[in-house]
Amino acid sequence: MKEFSMRREYGWRSLVVAALLPFFALTILAQMIRIQVSPEAADFRDQSDNFAMVKRTFYPERGEIYDRHGHLLAGNETVYTVGVNMPDVVSVDTLARDISGHLGLDYQETYDKLLNPYGLVFVPIANFVDGEKIASLKDAAEQTAKTSAAEFRPSPLSGLEFHPTLQRSYPENALAANIIGFFNRNQRGNFGVEEKYNDLLAGTPVEAWVPQDPNRAAEIPYVPNGTSLILTIDRDLQAAVEGLLDQAMTDYGAQNGTIIVMNPRNGEIMAMATTPRLNLNEFWTYGDSFDQSYEFNPAISMQYEPGSVFKVLTMAAGLDTGIITPNTPFYDSGSIIVGDVLIQNWDRRPWGPQDMIGCLQHSLNVCHAWISTTLGKETFYDYMNRFGIGRPTGVDLAGEAPGRLKVPGDADWYPVDLGTNAFGQGVAVSPIQMMMAASAIANGGYMVTPHVLYGMVSEGRQININMEPAGMPIRMETAYTLSQMLAISLENEASLALVPGYRVAGKTGTAEIPVNGYYDSSQTNVSFIGWGPVDDPQFMIYVWLNRPSVSIWANDTAAPLFSDVAQQTVILLNIPPDSIRQQAAQP
Amino acid sequence: MINVLHLTHAYRQAPWRIQRQWTGAFLVGALILAMISALYLDVTAQAAILGREIQYLQADTIEVQHANADLQTRLATLLSKSNMDARARALGYRPSEQGEIHYVIVRGYSHASGVNLAAVNPPVSVTVTPPEYTQSLLDWIADYLSTPAAGLAANTVP
Repeated sequence: MKEFSMRREYGWRSLVVAALLPFFALTILAQMIRIQVSPEAADFRDQSDNFAMVKRTFYPERGEIYDRHGHLLAGNETVYTVGVNMPDVVSVDTLARDISGHLGLDYQETYDKLLNPYGLVFVPIANFVDGEKIASLKDAAEQTAKTSAAEFRPSPLSGLEFHPTLQRSYPENALAANIIGFFNRNQRGNFGVEEKYNDLLAGTPVEAWVPQDPNRAAEIPYVPNGTSLILTIDRDLQAAVEGLLDQAMTDYGAQNGTIIVMNPRNGEIMAMATTPRLNLNEFWTYGDSFDQSYEFNPAISMQYEPGSVFKVLTMAAGLDTGIITPNTPFYDSGSIIVGDVLIQNWDRRPWGPQDMIGCLQHSLNVCHAWISTTLGKETFYDYMNRFGIGRPTGVDLAGEAPGRLKVPGDADWYPVDLGTNAFGQGVAVSPIQMMMAASAIANGGYMVTPHVLYGMVSEGRQININMEPAGMPIRMETAYTLSQMLAISLENEASLALVPGYRVAGKTGTAEIPVNGYYDSSQTNVSFIGWGPVDDPQFMIYVWLNRPSVSIWANDTAAPLFSDVAQQTVILLNIPPDSIRQQAAQP
Repeated sequence: MINVLHLTHAYRQAPWRIQRQWTGAFLVGALILAMISALYLDVTAQAAILGREIQYLQADTIEVQHANADLQTRLATLLSKSNMDARARALGYRPSEQGEIHYVIVRGYSHASGVNLAAVNPPVSVTVTPPEYTQSLLDWIADYLSTPAAGLAANTVP
């Protein structure tokens, strides 16, 4: 009986325990469900999501820049940020000693940075360190880690980290620096193509949430590289022209200079040399070479009085309207009065009877002032406007100067300007503007837009650029006639600009520089604009030297420099002499 | 009455047999649960391993891109105008001058102009990985429960 009672009692106890256990289990389950569906649960989930995912911006690799033959002019290279992850630091002293020793930094400065991290978890010690420099430090860190692991102790260089990033690199250093520009460490293109096409080169950064939890692996979003650019520049010609310009600076004692080589058929700029030039891999030395931003690429940014090269535009306007022909006689008395102001020739003497070729050949101011006044102000300025004078050309390089052409109605325009503008005084242009305007004469009346972009490569596909003509300021017949006149005038005076084997057309320009409001005859800008071969122009060259000291005349300085550049150009562009070319053209 | 009771006793299963059936059912349930758990654990572990591998591969991809950029720039530096000029001069060459060049007329010849940097095989458009390859089982169940019709709609043939 007693045994039965005990069994019964155990039975009850078992039942109670059996009932309580599920009760507790159910209570826990209910609590779990309650927590899951409670209003706070959403907040907790949001909080956990914040830690589970991290928002990252993926920057595309900056597009490269090539010359017209595919030579790399601007690429990218890996550089590193060397820093220390503070929670992992074992020995500040060892870290400071090794980092400063290998990277050539000041020990005390490095030590202080690590000792006082100001709450930073990762303390950057050096930025933009190139791979070669950190190689020895990396080796040292690996060696120390191995030794420490063998001795079962943490490495004294624990915490040392190298974060790679891409930096712009210019394999040709200063070559074509004025055209390329540079990409600084604030991720911004400066000058030239780097600035003009910054958005294309940079590509589009992509932002994405990246899970920290490997269970939730997500793809890195596809980030296409920035667009690569192919320039119209010919690297070999650019180097040759830069060499000739540097030599001319020494030979003629000029302060600075510019040479542009362009294809007058389509406006492709094949070389554009200026002085001084910046080594783009050391762009932070910019201030050592340049005081003003326009000095970086004077070929497009420097505006000045062009002088006699401007006469080709005046002559073009006269021929195009029909008021003159190449044979129109003109008696040069040595002076002309325009707007009550006496205008004289460059040598202050009369040249007697001339025709229009003579006017060009002897660069007579009086003759050209006569043409402009005969045209009248409306017609003359209408033609200058058609030639794009006083407006930017739209060349695809950053920092182009607009130039200045005073026109009737402007507060600072005087009647004498009609006379002086005819021979390039009282008007401001940039070298590239002169190129664009004169291209109409070389290119059968059609004016081209100068440009440096040949094509673009994006996602493996290349798109080449075809520029439309910028206008037709003069008739085809006018362009042909004027080209012949310019060629004849060079031949008549046996100019130093002539190129053996090639018939070229061109015009010199010697412009006195205004100093304190007066023209200083001892300081000049000398220039030459020319193109060839005359019957099939394939190159157009503009030479400009600032304040040559050996001679103030363009005939002695700019003209022979033009010839030197043209001789290099025909070799490097594979342009055969006229006789061979004409022979090849025969059926 | 006694006969009925005897009959019931005769057809009633023995208590140890009932216990064994319950135990067996419980064990089968536990086994199924263990199998599902093991399967889920396996899938999760594999997803975690693959996820980590993807992260490593992504890091490798970036490293390779950097290495490519480095090599390209280094090659360009080695082939730069100044380096090539110096090498050519060291080998005894010099730039040719006018009068030293002989032109040969070849009828019908036209030299190629401009460079073509287009890739031989342009990259195809990037396909998006279906969620089945990226989401966990719980994610999939949650998605399915939130939009139960989506799965059916996806298989609907209009």
